[in-house]
Amino acid sequence: MDDEPDITYSFKIGLEDNGFVVDTFNDPELASSNFKCDLYDLLLLDIKMPKLNGIDFYCHMKKMDNKVKVCFITASEIYYFERITKEIFAQLGTKRLFRKPIKLDDLVNALKKELGLIYSNNNSNLKN
Amino acid sequence: MTLTSNNSPERTEVIYGSENVLDALLQFVFKSKTIDSCGDSRAPSLIMEIKEYGKLLIELKKRNIKIRYITDISKDNLGYCKDLMSFNMELHHLEGMKANFSISDSEFMASSTLSQEEEEGEAQQSSRPIQQVIYTNVKDIVRQQKYVFESFWNRSIPSEQRFKDIEEGDIIGSTEIIQIPIKTKELFINLVKKSKEQVLLLLPSINAFFREERLGIFNYLKESALKNGINVKILTPTNDIIDRIIQNIKNNNNNNFVIQCFENTSTDIKINTITILVVDSKESLVIEKKDDSKEDFIDAIGLATYSTSKSTVLSYVSVFESLINQIKLYEQLKVHGKMQNEFINIASHELRTPTHAILAYSDLLPHHPEKRDEIIQGIKRNATRLQRLTEDILDVTKIESKTLNLHKEIFDLSDLLSSTIDDYKNNIEQKDNDNDKFRLLYTNINNESLFVEADYHKITQALSNILNNSIFFTKREKRVGEVYVTIERKKVDSKEIIVKIKDNGPGIDDDIFPRLFTKFATTSTKGTGLGLFICKGIIEAHGGKIWAENNKDDQGATFAFILPLVYSGSNNEYLKE
Repeated sequence: MDDEPDITYSFKIGLEDNGFVVDTFNDPELASSNFKCDLYDLLLLDIKMPKLNGIDFYCHMKKMDNKVKVCFITASEIYYFERITKEIFAQLGTKRLFRKPIKLDDLVNALKKELGLIYSNNNSNLKN
Repeated sequence: MTLTSNNSPERTEVIYGSENVLDALLQFVFKSKTIDSCGDSRAPSLIMEIKEYGKLLIELKKRNIKIRYITDISKDNLGYCKDLMSFNMELHHLEGMKANFSISDSEFMASSTLSQEEEEGEAQQSSRPIQQVIYTNVKDIVRQQKYVFESFWNRSIPSEQRFKDIEEGDIIGSTEIIQIPIKTKELFINLVKKSKEQVLLLLPSINAFFREERLGIFNYLKESALKNGINVKILTPTNDIIDRIIQNIKNNNNNNFVIQCFENTSTDIKINTITILVVDSKESLVIEKKDDSKEDFIDAIGLATYSTSKSTVLSYVSVFESLINQIKLYEQLKVHGKMQNEFINIASHELRTPTHAILAYSDLLPHHPEKRDEIIQGIKRNATRLQRLTEDILDVTKIESKTLNLHKEIFDLSDLLSSTIDDYKNNIEQKDNDNDKFRLLYTNINNESLFVEADYHKITQALSNILNNSIFFTKREKRVGEVYVTIERKKVDSKEIIVKIKDNGPGIDDDIFPRLFTKFATTSTKGTGLGLFICKGIIEAHGGKIWAENNKDDQGATFAFILPLVYSGSNNEYLKE
């Protein structure tokens, strides 16, 4: 989910090319009303969005589906989130915060690691 | 009265009743060759107003008895003190003198009556004879008391000097050291209570704040500021808890009551060992902090210096004022720093987002020939966005350095308005297909051409910024959005053109209103908050004005700007050219 359609659109195509099944949303409220429990393995969320930021969104979703994994992505300066990364991310058990721009290959690899599809010390695309 | 004092047995007694006291006094003075005596500030009036004591003085003068007398000479008892001088006594002044006793060669007498009267309150302060004295001729006691007197004498100043100071209106104050914490505490509270105009208070530590809060100082000062208009300024280090307490204390718009906080860690303020209290710029009390860990005021403090000396007190006032100024400057710097951080953050977000999109689309393009057009559109859209941001940042830089170059030409502003608005209308129709949900209207109120000498592109840019803003916020509302643009002269025959852009959107947030035209003011997550800052820069560079207000009668806001008129359409002068 990202409030920029260009971002979600390019992620969708890129990730689908790599075998992911992807739903995208540009509006957190719409995303939250369309959220289905146990359907998604991982949420990739922008942080700075109107109405509801990515972190609050995830907190809501985690109540409905506590198995779903999460990665955040932001175009903001990381120091802006220093407090958040330390406190809230630790609380949420989140390990990944990506920076825009990110290369598609890097994102795909990172998401696969997060989902346990490849081993972290292996660079080749070892699919399960 | 033939008393041979040398042979009298030693005795100490209390003598009661004004007549007995007078008798004892007579005996006391007539067998002395010298008398050393002190009295509080009310003693001179007592001696001069009571007939019997007056007679006593006359008698003393006749007998040529040498008298040294110490009292607290002030404006109030100045006349009485001068009268006393005429009885041949050596009169000295000691600030704050409270003792009332006399010593002859071998005897000592102390009166307690004066202090009793003091306690009975002002109504009883009229002069009445002393009711009770303590008498002793015990050698050791007399010797001790002589020593006490001598130490007073050594610290006192001749009355002539004091008279001069008072008469010249320049009372040289004194400075004293207080070693007893209980006294310091009493003095501290009394000073706060007796303030009439101003109280300055600097606290050295977080714990000091809590100690004074327990003393009730802050609430007392708040009341004083509120009820008596006393100007109160408090400087204190702060933390989260103190911030909250201060919010509670402040809680009203009272300009007389200022609490300025500072962070001990980050400022250069190194005054963290003393409390400074200055009252009415006349008295100062500086208290050393001995043990900051103690909860009680008395346990925490060490030595204190109390001063009424003008130069000392005024120095503390200026120390205090410079500290407050320094803290304010530091806060401004912090705000400035925060704004710069905000700029970096917004700029990086706005630069990275389209950059990311362009890079992602470029990667996808070779693999998806079927989506070629769509992807190229996306690249173009984001490249345009980057270009716009680049221009904005450059504009801001130019506006700030006052190097905005204007390529001026003469054109009809109403023309520019109508063609810009036509473009917007076409765009909206093409893009949204929800024309019935949004209306953009334009009226040239007097239907006249209004010529300006201005930079066509910059004015278009400013207008677009305002329009984009209004349309963006108005469209977010559920009702049918409407943006209505008008142009007219400010008044008939006025040399000023006024353009108004009125919308029925959500109106301008109170939060953002005061900084609407400053950099990075934005309530949306998109955008840099630079648009209106640039508008203001452009309009002002043309000698115009820009402002905004929330509509009084209905919803929404109105942005308006004024530009100088060069020619109007009805004016043939322009046509002649």
